[in-house]
Amino acid sequence: MNASHDELQWLAAQYVLGTLPHAERQAVEQRLATDGALRAAVDEWETKLHPLTALAEPVQPSASLWQRIERSLPMPTPVRQRGGWHAWWESVQFWRWSTGAALACSVLLAVLVLRAEPPARAPAYMVVLVAPQDKAPGWVVQTGGSGRLNLIPLGVATVPQEKALQFWTKGANWNGPVSLGIVKPGKTQEVPLDKLPPLQPDQLFEITLEPGTGSPTGRPTGPILYIGRAVKVTS
Amino acid sequence: MTDVPASFDHEAALLACARGERRALQALYEHEGRYLLGVALRIVRDRALAEDVLHDAFLNLWNRAASFDPARGAARGWIYTVVRHTALNRIRAMQHEVSAGDDLEEMADRAEPAVDAPEWQADLGRLDECLGQLSDAKRASIVYAYVDGCTHGEIAERLQAPLGSVKAWIKRGLAALRECIG
Repeated sequence: MNASHDELQWLAAQYVLGTLPHAERQAVEQRLATDGALRAAVDEWETKLHPLTALAEPVQPSASLWQRIERSLPMPTPVRQRGGWHAWWESVQFWRWSTGAALACSVLLAVLVLRAEPPARAPAYMVVLVAPQDKAPGWVVQTGGSGRLNLIPLGVATVPQEKALQFWTKGANWNGPVSLGIVKPGKTQEVPLDKLPPLQPDQLFEITLEPGTGSPTGRPTGPILYIGRAVKVTS
Repeated sequence: MTDVPASFDHEAALLACARGERRALQALYEHEGRYLLGVALRIVRDRALAEDVLHDAFLNLWNRAASFDPARGAARGWIYTVVRHTALNRIRAMQHEVSAGDDLEEMADRAEPAVDAPEWQADLGRLDECLGQLSDAKRASIVYAYVDGCTHGEIAERLQAPLGSVKAWIKRGLAALRECIG
């Protein structure tokens, strides 16, 4: 065991024990994000000392504490409060509506498909993103299997100051939605998909309203403005 | 002594939180809330502040659930870790203890005083045996730090001992624990 290993152990132990002053605690927490050896030492001490938590007597929280926590969870709109992605996913009414919207857009889609580049080898998909409240179609997503998708606006949208539109997708069995980045309102734009698995039928896409620099958590935090599922296009 | 919570799948609850299922977070709260509030209260020593800590900790759990890695430790332990560190960060931010470093002179061996070491009935497993092998002063220093969130200065006050001695006891006590727990 060398000196730096001992130092690392000692730092980790003091952090877990709780005796480090504030500035040093913060320094450790910053280092934990990148320093695997420190993280391993901290994890080890957490596991070793965890049984001591049993020495604290249980205390019943106030009746209102859960409501307070729930109100603070990052899903501020009625849509998300009904249960987020899963509620949408499972909502028959929503899919009935979005299917209707998709059919209503079929003429438009046909035009877009005809105007698109010749089909590549990978299957092409279309998504109509509709507003949750009035089911009005707002955007069309189009892929040609070329590792990119085109996001095409169907109208002019306005975004409040210091807010941004963020584009997300979630495949079946993914742990959570993945950001496809900030999108500009009212503009056709190309979004690279190279870091994602191949698109799947029924893959979910949505656009949420987020702070100007995008979601601070890496997950949707604002209201869903548009949502839809990928449909395979056969030519 | 705390009751052992009935069987609950903490890992499944965290995975469900990562998928955005609020009911999973609520189930976790209903299952562990009073134990976690107990842990936070011992550290921050103020009921309203402890509830603030639990509130913040549950938001942290929600936001960080996707980053939970079962390979790094058990889910229940991770949940307690989030609550403890939220509590520790909160009180340390309000304190002004500056790091004095390890004063080697003061770290020299001294006769350990007779102290009223904390006692408990809870079964801490292997940790119990290992803590039992420590001197009263070392055991008390470690328990006061971990469970009560005490600073070195607060432990010195409780044990009526010099600050340097407390630091030395903690350092040696932890080294002995590490050796013993393996």
